Amino acid sequence: MATETQVHRDNLADRLSTQIGSLQEAFRKLSKAATLKDLAGQFIGVVRGIFPDADIDLLHRPDRVETWQMLVDGGAQGFERLLALPPEQSSALSTLHQTANTLCVVQRLVDKSSIGMVLVRHLPDSGYSDIDAVSLRLFVHLFDNAHQDLVYRRNEKQLIFSLNHRVLQLNSLINTGIEVSKLDQHESPQQLALERAASLTNASKGLVRVTSGGTVREEIFFPAGVPVHGTGDDNTRIATSFTFADSTYAFELFEKESRIGILPFEETDQLLLDALARQVHASLENRYLHQQALEKQKIEQDMAVAASIQQRILPATLPAIDGYDIAGINIPSKSVGGDYYDCIPLPDGKYALIIADVAGKGVPAALLVSSLHAYVSAYLESTLPLIELAQRLNRVICHASTDDKFITAYIALLSPATGEIESLSAGHNPAYWLKSDNTVQELSVGGVALGMLDMDFPFQSEHFIIEKGERLLLYTDGITEATNEQNQLYDSDVPLQEFVVKQKPEKAGQFIQDLVGDIKRFTGNAPQSDDITALYLLRR
Amino acid sequence: MEQPFTLTSEMRDNCLVITTSGYVNNVGGEAIAAEFGRHFEGGTKHVVVNLAQSKVVNSIGMSFLIEIIEQLQEVDGKLVFTNLDPAVEKMLAIMGLFKFAGKESTVEDAVKSFSGQK
Repeated sequence: MATETQVHRDNLADRLSTQIGSLQEAFRKLSKAATLKDLAGQFIGVVRGIFPDADIDLLHRPDRVETWQMLVDGGAQGFERLLALPPEQSSALSTLHQTANTLCVVQRLVDKSSIGMVLVRHLPDSGYSDIDAVSLRLFVHLFDNAHQDLVYRRNEKQLIFSLNHRVLQLNSLINTGIEVSKLDQHESPQQLALERAASLTNASKGLVRVTSGGTVREEIFFPAGVPVHGTGDDNTRIATSFTFADSTYAFELFEKESRIGILPFEETDQLLLDALARQVHASLENRYLHQQALEKQKIEQDMAVAASIQQRILPATLPAIDGYDIAGINIPSKSVGGDYYDCIPLPDGKYALIIADVAGKGVPAALLVSSLHAYVSAYLESTLPLIELAQRLNRVICHASTDDKFITAYIALLSPATGEIESLSAGHNPAYWLKSDNTVQELSVGGVALGMLDMDFPFQSEHFIIEKGERLLLYTDGITEATNEQNQLYDSDVPLQEFVVKQKPEKAGQFIQDLVGDIKRFTGNAPQSDDITALYLLRR
Repeated sequence: MEQPFTLTSEMRDNCLVITTSGYVNNVGGEAIAAEFGRHFEGGTKHVVVNLAQSKVVNSIGMSFLIEIIEQLQEVDGKLVFTNLDPAVEKMLAIMGLFKFAGKESTVEDAVKSFSGQK
């Protein structure tokens, strides 16, 4: 026959065995809890199944906090009873305090917080047994295990979230660089970078300030219209800046957000802000270079148009003058040159031979050449005396050009029947008249360059007669000052006068061809430094 | 430039439609979660978040959205994002939100998706 002790042991074993099954079932339930409050609610449900006749409170005390917070209030006066515990029991890793109808359990959890549980039996005469105490301990350990599981799951989620956020930061940094470089000119790379920087660092607000010479040129706030206060160097602010084209671009971010309040910015946040600012810097530089390239392209297009216009101003063919042979050439050193020549038949049967050189090159020089051509054509219609023509040209060129622009010109009026020539040099190189005795006479009578002085300058002209077989060469300084690779001048090596004496082909065109060939031979691979222009008249 | 956060909501065919404007950060996320919480307690399981006027979202704002998605999962509910800016869509994708939440072009499409019309 079994003894009373044996029966008691068997009952205890049966109850514990039953509760092991309950524990396994309870853990499955508790492990689904997403929050501490959920877990507490589920746990109280389980404990009530074991102790149906008890009032039960469940309280929580965070790490390093002295006061308890109620999780589930079951009317067991949990605050008072836990506060009444002796200090050594209240702060123990695990303790159970038992009185006649009350059980108080305190259990330290994995995150160093504690739970406190208080059970009070309704019936004053029915106390708790040892088995009840053991059972309660088992279930409190179960709570501890479920709580550990909750903490680990939460940590795992936070880790995954944190890893994803790092991937996001890296990805966004790369994408922002691409987007910033693709932005249209009217979009602001600094605005995009500020938005991305704030987002990636969890800053609550930010600012980009562009200053130039101490003056604020632009301020962008993020979010728009939210004022930014505080310029201190505390750890709730990070900043970076760069200078481009005399402007300073300063980026600032404020207040790193978190679910528990404002945090100090991290080193990574500063690195991200620096990197995004560098991308803006690169974008601004690229835009500047792109703009310059576009402007250069536009200038080249304008130059091409100007060159085309100038080619139409220069004569495609020269008029045939009975008893004479005439030829000319213009080889511009840039796409648009500043030299001009022509031979214009006049109403009185004369011909005007003109050669001119505008100070400077490019579009401004071409515009002045165009003006000269228009004025010369207009004035020659009215057969003005040569000196008056020069004076009028001087005035109009002076008014039509800037102070640094003027034109040197040589104008000769030829009467073909007699060979009489009246000529005038307006600050131009002397013309060479090759006479029948094989000598060269320089023709340089005239005055200052056209447009140089805004006054009625007393120009002078000279008269001479070009006889049969005699020749006249008008040229610009692009010929005499053509340089070779040793930087020597053509006119110093082979004086042009000597070439004029030696080279006397039957055709004017041949002379021009020989002259250009000789210059090319002299200059070799040296780049052409100035326009080469010449007009050659030969009386047959 | 992104504006300060504001929010409106309405019920459409048993769906809670939350329309935001501005930076979805801690403040924005809290506001969305609070608006959701009020309807969730009343049994709402279908939620549409229209981010048409929100071009910037930070990870704190996203953490609130994740919590809403998780709460809805527990009751077999669902959240659908609409009108996403490409940059925001990419952010939500990288953070894994579309594993458990949907996305549609418009609010109308999202509401239809809940009623099985789409």
